[in-house]
Amino acid sequence: MKRVLVACGNGIATSTVVATKIREACENHGIAVMVSQCKLLEVESKADDFDLLVTTGKFTGGSVSVPVVGAINLLTGINEEATLEEILGYLK
Amino acid sequence: MSAFYTIFNTIMDAGATVMLPIIITIIGLIFGVKLSKAFRSGLTIGIGFAGINLVINMMKADLGPAAQAMVENFGIQLDVLDVGWGAIAAVTWSSPIIAILIFAILATNIIMLALKATDTMDVDIWNYHHMAIVGIMVYYVTKSIPMGILASVIMAVITFKLSDWTAPLVEDFFGIPGVSLPTVSALSSVLIAVPMNWLLDKIPIFRNSKLTVRNAQKYLGFFGEPAMLGLILGCGIGALAKYDVSKIMSLGVSMAAVMILIPKMTSLFMEGLMPISEAAKNFTQKRFKGRKFLIGLDAAVVVGNPDVITTSLIVIPLTIFMAAVLPGNRMLPFADLAVVTFRVAMVVAITRGNLLKNIVMGLVSTGTILYAGTITAPVLTSLAQSVGLDIATDGSMISSFAATSLQLSFLVYEAFITKPVIFVPVLLAVFALIWVCMEKRNKKKAAEAAE
Repeated sequence: MKRVLVACGNGIATSTVVATKIREACENHGIAVMVSQCKLLEVESKADDFDLLVTTGKFTGGSVSVPVVGAINLLTGINEEATLEEILGYLK
Repeated sequence: MSAFYTIFNTIMDAGATVMLPIIITIIGLIFGVKLSKAFRSGLTIGIGFAGINLVINMMKADLGPAAQAMVENFGIQLDVLDVGWGAIAAVTWSSPIIAILIFAILATNIIMLALKATDTMDVDIWNYHHMAIVGIMVYYVTKSIPMGILASVIMAVITFKLSDWTAPLVEDFFGIPGVSLPTVSALSSVLIAVPMNWLLDKIPIFRNSKLTVRNAQKYLGFFGEPAMLGLILGCGIGALAKYDVSKIMSLGVSMAAVMILIPKMTSLFMEGLMPISEAAKNFTQKRFKGRKFLIGLDAAVVVGNPDVITTSLIVIPLTIFMAAVLPGNRMLPFADLAVVTFRVAMVVAITRGNLLKNIVMGLVSTGTILYAGTITAPVLTSLAQSVGLDIATDGSMISSFAATSLQLSFLVYEAFITKPVIFVPVLLAVFALIWVCMEKRNKKKAAEAAE
């Protein structure tokens, strides 16, 4: 099972929105996935345990060894499908 | 009629965990969410409240006596506990007038959009709590629902305009176009940052500062990890309370637990509100098809910026120190140290990443928050108890870095409860003046760009 870390400013608000949408999309495509949430400040100490990092905004602070997807489109609703496709691409 | 009254009273008596599911279900139904989904949302939020209640209770029971002991041992009077914005949001959503305020704020946004008075489409219902709490506190003090609604509407108008005006910064500095950030916890610092930036630019040391801190993440990174921060603060407070070693360690672990558990409980609120937020988004987007908007987002999308992170990691320990030495401050910064990033995000954007200015202005921002939080703690504590947040009455109070601790919210709240006949018109006049100046400035800029 692939593990996804969703990070936002406080690990609560926007990351919950994005995490829920990723879970729903994976369910629809029959992909088993574990989604966790955290604060952007914690990303560096946590990201290595995951297969994919999804951030709700622009993330430029610090380096991580896993692929990173910016998911602001899942918040604005513009090009939402393309971003979900990109995320699913890493999880298949 | 009396039957209706009895039902209403029975629900009120049952407290927030029963009120919340009912209120949220009704709000959901009005937005066209299906009954089963709306009720599930409401129940999730009720569960969130129960969870927050448990954690705050544990925090107050453990930290309260230690804070009191600190007063006795060293005269460090920090007996206003920062329980964090999540607990305050829970109090906000539990208010009997919350449904009215949510629709008043949404209506304000829709009317302003229709009149082209704002470009920000703010359907981030979640962050309405920052605007709603001001109305709720005004209502709690004045007992007047119209005054409460007016206070929240004024908060909303100011918030949407500040979002419009800061949108270019969000695009230029953070690189996110088409978006504005109507999150009061981030926007409020603009009140400090704009005048101070102008002032500090008159001084060459600040204007030309090239200060950089390398490896801030490496050496100060633990200040950004809530569990570590909670552990260190808990142990430190335990030591100042002159506890024995085993009790110091246990306070440390229990405070680390609080830091981790509060956000987990708060995320239940977010989960429950999501379907309603989505419905509100569709509702508003449909009505304004074809018009170009700034989509209002949570400021969480910009706090990953490295300058914001570095500034926060330096400001967090200095804020703790400041809380101990500022005369008159009684707030013990705790849970909201985890979200200092929001309080400095706009500061960083306004200075374009000048670290020296960021630190100075960031500290002025957190310093004013400490004072405003201290001043408004008695009303907030009593309000929290009235909606059923079960906190021990041992003399210590609660506050946060949100609600009326925020500069903007504090000013609006104080204007309404001090002498509303004088100060509310003054507030509106000052704001109108700034609005006119900004419009002129933007028109001039647009004309220059066109040439």
